[in-house]
Amino acid sequence: MRLSKTDVAQYLPEKEYIDTVIVPLIPFDPSSDTDLSKQAFLRELNQVFTNVIEKEYRGRIFLSPDYHYMSGSHASEIERVNQWISQFKQQPFEHVFLFTFDVKWKKHEQNLDGHLLWVPGIQTGNVQSTETQSFVKEQAREISEFIQSYW
Amino acid sequence: MSDKKRVSRRQFLNYTLTGVGGFMAAGMLAPMVRFAIDPVLQTQEGGDLKSVVSVDEITNEPQRFEWTINQVDAWYESEIQKTAWVYRNDNDEIIALSPICTHLGCTVDWASNEEYPNQFFCPCHAGRYTKDGVNVPGTPPTAPLPMFEHEVRDGMLYLGDAKSRKGA
Repeated sequence: MRLSKTDVAQYLPEKEYIDTVIVPLIPFDPSSDTDLSKQAFLRELNQVFTNVIEKEYRGRIFLSPDYHYMSGSHASEIERVNQWISQFKQQPFEHVFLFTFDVKWKKHEQNLDGHLLWVPGIQTGNVQSTETQSFVKEQAREISEFIQSYW
Repeated sequence: MSDKKRVSRRQFLNYTLTGVGGFMAAGMLAPMVRFAIDPVLQTQEGGDLKSVVSVDEITNEPQRFEWTINQVDAWYESEIQKTAWVYRNDNDEIIALSPICTHLGCTVDWASNEEYPNQFFCPCHAGRYTKDGVNVPGTPPTAPLPMFEHEVRDGMLYLGDAKSRKGA
């Protein structure tokens, strides 16, 4: 399920079945050219990942709109992330997963109210290439197994 | 030479004028008629069958096959990936089932749950389907898995649209 009219219309009456939400955490920094191209790639990769997972498990997972933030501002972002999570939990979503390639969240993991799903991404590449696609498929399977262990 | 067979100047002019006028009228009407019945002339997008796999590869055990189709959504065209579980049943007929759970749309897997090795299993809410795609009563799904239209041509399996079936 996504934040779209048709999906939400399907979600609301079936709330009891859809108890998991994935929030993609996506950093960017428009002031630096080198970071920007790396972050653009990781953002695309993040979307490919979450789309694959959403497609397979759309009957139980709600894909939240992307959470964007300035890279390096983790300490100050924690409160806002937790606010998102607490709002989702009011729905009620039982399991909240934060999906990110940004390793810096790892340090703040214990302060986050959701389960951090940090995946080591790939630095550069092409989202269309077969290497990337097999990487995504393999990782997505692992991630969904991890999520299923919470159900 | 009899006079009756001769075409008079008046008749000749009449024929030519009717002929030319007719052509002009037809020239104007044809696009209008074409426009009016346009929906009838549209090619059917959905009925297209796509070559998916060689028939030799199909076994008695359901296997997952993927292919892509072009989908036109009002404004833009996109390529979407389709998946099917394909196998031969006991009567040697090819069965192609859609993997989309009829409950809330998750993707079902064949024999992924150890307790039910001969059923399709939905990981989201433990929905189950027997090998012919019929939902197991008592599990969340209320309808069988949709079945793809299929055709075998030149040793290749062609799949079309998934047709939903009535519940068990």
